[in-house]
Amino acid sequence: MKISLALNGESVDVEAEPRESLLDVLRDQLGLTGTHASCEQGSCGVCTVLLDGQSVMSCLVFVPQVEGRTVRTIEGVGHPEALHPLQAALSEYHGLQCGFCTPGVVMSALELLDTVEKPSRVDIERWMSGVLCRCTGYSGIVDAVNAVAAEGAAT
Amino acid sequence: MKAAPFEYVLARSLTEATDVLGETEDAVVLAGGQSLVPLMNLRLAQPSVVVDINGISDLNKVERLNGTVRLGSMCRHRRLETDPEITELAPLVSEAVVHVGHVQIRNRGTLGGSLAHADPLSELPAVLMALEGEIEATSATGSRMIAARDFYVGTFTTTLEPGELLTSVSLPVPGTRDGFAWDEFSRRHGDFAVAGIAAVVSLDESGSCTYARLVGAGLGATPVDLSGSADPLIGLGELSDEVLLAVADGVAEGVDPTGDIHGSAEYRRELAQLLTVRTLRTAWKRAEGVDR
Amino acid sequence: MTVTTSERARTTATSVPRRREDTRFLTGRGSYLGDLRPPGLLHLAVMRSTQAHARINSIDVTNALALPGVVAAFTGAELAETTGRFSHHLPMIPTLRQIEWGVLAVDKVLFVGEAIAAVVAESRHLAEDALSLISVDYEDLPPVVDAKAGLAEDAPLLYEDWPDNLFLHMSASHGDVDEAFAQADAVLRETFTHHRVAALPMEGLGAMGEFEAATGRLTLHVSTQSPHMLRTTICEVTGLSEAQVRIVAPDMGGGFGVKNHFMREEALVAVVAMRLPYPVVWQQDRFEHLTAGIHSRQQVHEAEVAYRENGKILGLRARIVADVGSPELYMLGCAPAVVTTGVMPNTYDFQNYEVELQCVVTNKCPIGGYRGFGQPQAIFTMERLVDLIADELKMDPVEVRRINNIDVDALPFTTATGAILDCGGFNEQLDELLDAIDYPVLRAQVAAEREAGKFVGLGVAQMVEPTAPNLHSLAGQFGGFEMALLTVQPDGHVSIHVGTKSQGQGHETVFAKLASEVLSVPAEMIEVHDGDTRFLPYGMGTWGSRSAVMGGGAVLKAATQVRDKMVAIAANMLGSTPERTELREGVFHAGEGEVPLAEVAGAAYLHTFLLPPGMEPGLSVVVGYDPGNTSPFPDESGKLNVAATYASAAAAAVVEIDPNTGVVTVRDLTLVHDCGRIIDEVILEGQIRGAIAQAIGATFFEEVRYDEIGQPLTTTLLDYTIPGFGDIPDSRIIHRETPSNLLGGFRGAGEGAIIVTPAALANAVHDALRPVGAKVTQTNLGPQHVRRLLRENGVKANPLGVTT
Repeated sequence: MKISLALNGESVDVEAEPRESLLDVLRDQLGLTGTHASCEQGSCGVCTVLLDGQSVMSCLVFVPQVEGRTVRTIEGVGHPEALHPLQAALSEYHGLQCGFCTPGVVMSALELLDTVEKPSRVDIERWMSGVLCRCTGYSGIVDAVNAVAAEGAAT
Repeated sequence: MKAAPFEYVLARSLTEATDVLGETEDAVVLAGGQSLVPLMNLRLAQPSVVVDINGISDLNKVERLNGTVRLGSMCRHRRLETDPEITELAPLVSEAVVHVGHVQIRNRGTLGGSLAHADPLSELPAVLMALEGEIEATSATGSRMIAARDFYVGTFTTTLEPGELLTSVSLPVPGTRDGFAWDEFSRRHGDFAVAGIAAVVSLDESGSCTYARLVGAGLGATPVDLSGSADPLIGLGELSDEVLLAVADGVAEGVDPTGDIHGSAEYRRELAQLLTVRTLRTAWKRAEGVDR
Repeated sequence: MTVTTSERARTTATSVPRRREDTRFLTGRGSYLGDLRPPGLLHLAVMRSTQAHARINSIDVTNALALPGVVAAFTGAELAETTGRFSHHLPMIPTLRQIEWGVLAVDKVLFVGEAIAAVVAESRHLAEDALSLISVDYEDLPPVVDAKAGLAEDAPLLYEDWPDNLFLHMSASHGDVDEAFAQADAVLRETFTHHRVAALPMEGLGAMGEFEAATGRLTLHVSTQSPHMLRTTICEVTGLSEAQVRIVAPDMGGGFGVKNHFMREEALVAVVAMRLPYPVVWQQDRFEHLTAGIHSRQQVHEAEVAYRENGKILGLRARIVADVGSPELYMLGCAPAVVTTGVMPNTYDFQNYEVELQCVVTNKCPIGGYRGFGQPQAIFTMERLVDLIADELKMDPVEVRRINNIDVDALPFTTATGAILDCGGFNEQLDELLDAIDYPVLRAQVAAEREAGKFVGLGVAQMVEPTAPNLHSLAGQFGGFEMALLTVQPDGHVSIHVGTKSQGQGHETVFAKLASEVLSVPAEMIEVHDGDTRFLPYGMGTWGSRSAVMGGGAVLKAATQVRDKMVAIAANMLGSTPERTELREGVFHAGEGEVPLAEVAGAAYLHTFLLPPGMEPGLSVVVGYDPGNTSPFPDESGKLNVAATYASAAAAAVVEIDPNTGVVTVRDLTLVHDCGRIIDEVILEGQIRGAIAQAIGATFFEEVRYDEIGQPLTTTLLDYTIPGFGDIPDSRIIHRETPSNLLGGFRGAGEGAIIVTPAALANAVHDALRPVGAKVTQTNLGPQHVRRLLRENGVKANPLGVTT
């Protein structure tokens, strides 16, 4: 079946079977491999993208469900030459090591920053609990999100 | 792990959904997908037809009718958590739903989906039973109301008939002297509960308890109604440690949990008692108007 | 359009990323195995056994092949005819059973999840559809799911031609243990249980193979920690030569040891690729990873320690039973258990040590390496024994450690097992830890809280760790060296190929920094590459805390050689001598003259007449770096110095237990960590914190479980629960830098925290349970286990909760 959606600010069409997940289609058909597959069960958050501005597990969304919707992935956040402040902060505070969970971390944190004003560290931990990381022990990620939240509030 | 092939139907109306569900024996409903899709990705569920009900309008209303609040089955968990109208009219739902998975899950998951999925470890079925709510089940031939106590009959098993769609949930609107509390023990924030307790307490003008409900999750194949154990509370004007211990003893005797890797039967029983005391204390305070 | 908060946000973070790798990882432009999309890519899915122990009477793939979109299907029997077999390359060990196995099981399956057939199709979806059409006729056999049961007289045999289920049985005796026990004032006996865990990198394993029939060349992209060692193994199995096979390890989503074995699926992909005209990929999904990947750590230790009444340890006996699951894994899956036997004496000076190791095969997923590689188990047991001795003698456990620690003046010290410890002083390290936590005050405070009825405890542990080891004794080949190729390009930029393989440790940044120091070229002008066997003759990968020591040493050696050559060229260009020519901040100086490095580089390639007479053009070296102080085999007495150098650490933990739920809260965790010369403190701390997180996970959150018939119970991430945000306590890390004698002065860094932390936590939990006399003798201290300990020692759960 054919599905049309708005992806990172552009209209795209894909041809896919209903059983293909949004994650599958992003990676296999749309060339956007920045969103990674880790459990395909909704229990690790690595595949988190924004669907109409809300974070979702893209492995749990069948592609027909995004017909006419807006999807934002890591490829729509910052750019190697101009990192988004959250990306810059994650680097600064060493909130990534192997990078595999990082796109999920970024997308989850973006929703947090847009939803909660002045999140405390506990708020950040609660909110981000949907993404698992095995490398960092989380402190660098929380430091980074905390730094961006603090400065965002000041703007 | 990739799902097996299926025919996808985007239902544009309730009739279309119930027609398809009525016609195909192994058709399933796709609402939030947060319980269904993991099963399909593991190929533990291989329905031939998936009926997507996300396009049906009017399934996510919140309506107040006299002493009842009716929540549409497509109300997302995230809305149950944050919508001020819902947190006011169904505080126990709002409090419990925070424990459902993570933000990503709650952005998609639905009230109806959780209730119909009937996972004994999940929060909302226990909440439904604690509130003595009613389910509206709609089929091609009309709709009927199912009382919570008649709804859950086994692990992942409800009394919804083939061809029936859960369309709304009716809950009593809280009175000014009603107090509600949910608490659970899970290994990590957002995990399924090892044990969870929903408590409801009502007090009269003199502060005496007239009504108490206790329902447990994770303690049996379905939500376990432990309200009988709360009988010692009726008529009391205050909660003492002695009476709480008596209630907890009753709860320990009233549950027969299955042990698994997440918790032995004994551990679950201990947690159930601890959570019973915690939730009763909180619910009582809230009924008194303290700690709202 | 509303500008969102996140878009409005600014940060004082600099826009230059801290690590080179960060730019692509942060923007989703990493290139992990699953991201590779050559044209015509096909997908391989593996049919896996549903039984724990069974004969395969037949496999029928006919219906699978008939499915549209399916290109090929293979059974073990079919591939066995033309494919080489794996072995563990250790024929010289008489008490190790010699086995061979193929890329797929043929006659028998030994665990649920064992690979028995493969399907190749146009998509993973179709390949999985095809799997469901394969029919297998199993003849069930009684399973062995427990090592102790596996050792019983009448236990079913996994290998019917073996007399028992012992895969490896080794013993070693050092010093005079009988005499030590005879002379002792007391002997303490205890049994310690180490549970089964999984390393769980967020990216599973995977391999993509492309074979060019026209040239006979195979390229295999594999998420592997050791590309060259994998190449050697793939060549054995496929019959191709090392000149025909190229392994490329792309960006990796973690490794932690489970990507350091040479998996049959990786060889399967190679073998299948050779039969198809298209590239083919296998990506291990999470279910496969948890059930048919690699598990770790499961051992039971029966230990006896003989000591004097002043706490001095005279001797130790340990009998280790390791449940190794299926043994069909190269490199040797039970290698960690062998390491356990070698490091148990820890930082203590006793020389009388006897150890027996029985590796028992069971019908479970193979056991293999996971960060720490057998050391967490050894250190746990030894550090618990020390605390138990202290309990018996009513001594402070710190004092028992002091009395037994190898004295700093005795270093370098040869341990009972032959390890030549060259590190900083252990008592000095311990002192630094105790100072940092204000030990006497903390002890008193904890005691006071215990008086008041709280379950609070303080535990200390220490460790010394062999790092950058020689692999020969465990793998039958490979040694203890590393290689690097360093080229200064004509424009003065630098390219380095190193034989280690980063899986998140930031090597592109770390090695660039090292080379930058030697070449005085800014790190931004240095490109570091790893993982591609095409560019470097050999390498030994990243595992065993070896990268800074061996990779760093190789990079330093190569950079120095190239710098020296440039000095000679510059001297020539300046009319001076190398002795009088100096390199400072990218410029060569001799007297009043100077020439920038880029110009010297240009001379080496573009204006070669400027070179000294007889000098070869170019600025490129391939070096092999072997410190030369490790042994490939134990000597006749069983002693072996396996490590190029040793790292050490000490940890202290304060815990509080909720007696009603069994939840342990870590209130304080302090580590003193000595990995020699530090290259990048932020990256190092990231490694330490990650190791701490895994230690917290293994201690309080994780266990791999099977049922009584060998069916795995932890098959999803909701069953195998690694810690999430908010689950890792803050910790304080204090660095000690005792330089090693090796190039750069480095010691291994990545594993220390995972080795010492579980022991400190267990000692703290034991201390907290002191009032009820519960003993901690197991590594799983998750809430229900602690609650059980309390219950068994008479502490009923109080439904009223903890009274504050």
